[in-house]
Amino acid sequence: MVKKTEKTREEKILEITKKIEVLGKDLIAEINRQENPHLDIPIRGSNNVFFDEQNKKIQLGDKKSKRYLFNVAHARRFMQTMLVASYVKKDLLANNLTATLRDLYYAKKHTIKGTKEDTIDEQKESDLAIVDFEVALETFRERLHLRAEPKGRMAGDMVVLDRVRDKVDKIDLSKMGSGGWAVPSIVEQIEFQDVGIEYVLVAEKNAIFDRLNEDEYWAKNKCLLMTTAGQAARGARRLLQRISDEIKVPIYCLTDADPYGWYIYSTMKYGSMALAHESDRLGCPQMKFLGMSISDIEHYDLKAVTIKAKDVDIKRAEEMKNYDWFKYPAWQKEIDKFLDKKIKAEIQSLSSKNLQYISSTYLPEKIAGKDFLP
Amino acid sequence: MADVEAKTSADIEKQFKEYSVAEFFKKNRQMLGYSGEVRSLTTIVHEYVTNSLDACEDARILPEITVEVESLSASPRETDVGLGDGTTLSFQIDDEIARAATLAIKVDGIEVARGADYVIKYEKKGKNSFRVISFKKTPPRQGARIVAHWAAGHLRVSVEDNGTGIPKTKVGQALGQLLSGTKFLNREQKRGQQGIGASYATLFAQITTGKPIHVKTSIGDYKIMEADLTIDVKKNIPVLSNQKEYSGKFQGLRVEAEFSEVSYDRSEYGVYEYLRRTAIANPHAQLTLIEPNKEVTVFPRASSTIPSKAKPVQPHPLGLTTSDLIDMAHITQARKVSSFLTGELAKFSNDKLNELKALLPHLDLDKHPSKLEWKDAEEIVNSFKKIKFYNPDLDTLVPIGAEQLEKSLKNLLQPEHLKVIERKPRVFRGGIPFLVEAAVAYGGKAGSDGVKAEVMRFANRTPLLFDAGNDAITEGVKTIDWGRYSLKNYETMPVSLFVNFVSVYVPYTGAGKLAISPEEEIVAEIRNALMEAARDVSLYLSGLQKAEDAEKRKQIFFKYIGEVAESLEDVTGEDQKTLEEKLRKIAEIRTQILTQEEESGLEDSELDEETEEEIQEGS
Repeated sequence: MVKKTEKTREEKILEITKKIEVLGKDLIAEINRQENPHLDIPIRGSNNVFFDEQNKKIQLGDKKSKRYLFNVAHARRFMQTMLVASYVKKDLLANNLTATLRDLYYAKKHTIKGTKEDTIDEQKESDLAIVDFEVALETFRERLHLRAEPKGRMAGDMVVLDRVRDKVDKIDLSKMGSGGWAVPSIVEQIEFQDVGIEYVLVAEKNAIFDRLNEDEYWAKNKCLLMTTAGQAARGARRLLQRISDEIKVPIYCLTDADPYGWYIYSTMKYGSMALAHESDRLGCPQMKFLGMSISDIEHYDLKAVTIKAKDVDIKRAEEMKNYDWFKYPAWQKEIDKFLDKKIKAEIQSLSSKNLQYISSTYLPEKIAGKDFLP
Repeated sequence: MADVEAKTSADIEKQFKEYSVAEFFKKNRQMLGYSGEVRSLTTIVHEYVTNSLDACEDARILPEITVEVESLSASPRETDVGLGDGTTLSFQIDDEIARAATLAIKVDGIEVARGADYVIKYEKKGKNSFRVISFKKTPPRQGARIVAHWAAGHLRVSVEDNGTGIPKTKVGQALGQLLSGTKFLNREQKRGQQGIGASYATLFAQITTGKPIHVKTSIGDYKIMEADLTIDVKKNIPVLSNQKEYSGKFQGLRVEAEFSEVSYDRSEYGVYEYLRRTAIANPHAQLTLIEPNKEVTVFPRASSTIPSKAKPVQPHPLGLTTSDLIDMAHITQARKVSSFLTGELAKFSNDKLNELKALLPHLDLDKHPSKLEWKDAEEIVNSFKKIKFYNPDLDTLVPIGAEQLEKSLKNLLQPEHLKVIERKPRVFRGGIPFLVEAAVAYGGKAGSDGVKAEVMRFANRTPLLFDAGNDAITEGVKTIDWGRYSLKNYETMPVSLFVNFVSVYVPYTGAGKLAISPEEEIVAEIRNALMEAARDVSLYLSGLQKAEDAEKRKQIFFKYIGEVAESLEDVTGEDQKTLEEKLRKIAEIRTQILTQEEESGLEDSELDEETEEEIQEGS
């Protein structure tokens, strides 16, 4: 069960370098024609993002905006996008190095000659310029050798092959101790071997991973256990998608019973509006929501341990109620219940029964009864 | 006729309690505008100036009115108030200074403005309260000397006009009899108090200084009459003394009166501001002010068109205030309250009288109108609101007129830009006709102190200086989104907002006639008028903005060329210096094109930037 990547690393570098050069040459041609240099950038934002019901993905439409150098509103961002282009080509690809978004921010931040203005004020600006550059080249940032901060851990009966430059490591995910294996930020090179799992259980919280790992839940239930530690990082999302596509096992998601938890789930499953252009690479449409729901609070009699919802939770829920990907009747019902009762609960609230209630009762019952939300 | 009137008054007087008139004044002093030293003085000037304007208008004369305020004290005094320390805002002052007839506060020798820079107010310390000078924004710096230049004592107010004058037999009645006046008999759209105000001023002079007022008048027949005038408070009759007549060339009226418990200053509540605004609303009048420091200000005439006369109509029940009703009841010829109401109010039939009786069964409507007490009148006015009346006739609105108003605003404000709007008549309370005139002036002498916006409120051309809080015009101004008109920070811009509310029946919020009730239809119409004017000013301002933008744009275009060229060299290998030169050339061309497009009014379509949905991701 090993899938070979189609292109070698060198071929990929060459391909993307070429794309950047073409973009640069187009600009030079415009300059030589005395035209206002511009970049075509697909519009990201609610008016160019739609929910593809067929493929269950949040997708980017084909609207593009032109970003000009000589336009008051665009000039600074144009300049920053060019800084990204230069850094990616000259510093990263040419030397076969990868860097974090923060590395790029520091490498390209300096005072513009003859002014008191900095090229980049906050990292947020260069992050946005990076996304612009990605979508302009119709690629994704891992191809540009830019890494996000890695986040997420896993454990289970499975072996993976990872490589650092030319060195290949064989990692047994059933022997990772109490901490589990840290999911790297780039996972394209990972290969799966010796798979002994029947499903994947993704928890939003580290604490739940630790609880279930200690209970040997993954061993007893033949599953791969994973934590995203909050909003899932790109590496973790891409890896989940690959497991879903390549190993073809079901993936269940476990979050707090609140709008924030549900949104984390929806981002892993369908993608997000901000990164709609990468839903193809990062979305995991087969994922199912195991819990917790407001119905769980009722069913498992957890009312005594609920928390009062805050204004931001309610606002979030009201927004989510209108998202196309939450239009399933079951979800609408959950959101309505939440808006009605204005309470939320953490997964840990199950510990009010007893510490192992989650692994001995809650999870087996939910999975056996196929009590999922779409 | 005068004799008949006097007799009637005498009859009424017998039924008055002895102290009733003075008592009435005392009780209603606040409502009549006599509260606070500065405001009392403004009220006095208002009464005289309003009468003068009306007198000229009646006779189709272009008004020329001179107002003089003199300090009658001994030489002004200087008192050290305190030393600034950079933080303290309030400095205690003696009551004597707070109530001074004239007062100037100097910080390090520089005069600061009452109202804008400081106010005088009460401050409590334990059980005692005392007056303080309270600086509004900036506390005097460390070591700054704060000195009060003040003069206690009386102020003399003289107002002279070139109107019809008063026939000598009527002088006493016009200026020395309370609850008397000719205007009630034919009610028109008139400014302010209904002819009773000047007599209250006489009484106020008498109460505060014990001195008579002095009158000089002629109807233009070369016979001039001068006299001193007091009111016999017990009998409510005028008493003329030192009367003399002589020949000479004079037409009009001059009144001189001495007051205490009044104070002169140049704040937004003072006489100066009152006359300035009166001049704006009355472009046909020429007003002159001589201040206690002998400074002469002329608000010149802007137009020689005299406003057309309003058609006289009886007052509509819905437009009356309690004090209006009381005033009318005391001068009516009717014998009973019931016949007074049906006879002198518009649209008040016997059917309506029966409805009123049903609403107020305990009230005796057969009694003599002069016995109508404040409480009764209040109940009647309140009950009017529950009765369905026919609407007043839609006819009698007399606006200043867009053309006239434009002349006077240009004349007095010399603004960089001005837009005047005259709206079509509308109705409120289901049928009372009204009309709104508005203007927005920018730059020049617009705004107060050149840096602060001012809102000039008027009702039938009378400036409303007090009680801005609960007012239809204030409400209208407040609820406009000024950002949409390039006037986001209008409060700190040189902007004057002008609104004149025109109606036979102004729905004042109180008997003091200081603010217009913020009723929905009125506020909406005021907003519409102001926004219409603001749209025009906004176009002018964005023009200014564009010139500034063009320069900024050029800077932005050139600023990033170096960075972009360097990056492009990294990506393509083209020479940075050559690229920079080429880019500079394009920047020049673009700047020129954009400036030309703007001058020809084309919008820059490239400026639409896509919106960026920013959802926090665990990146």
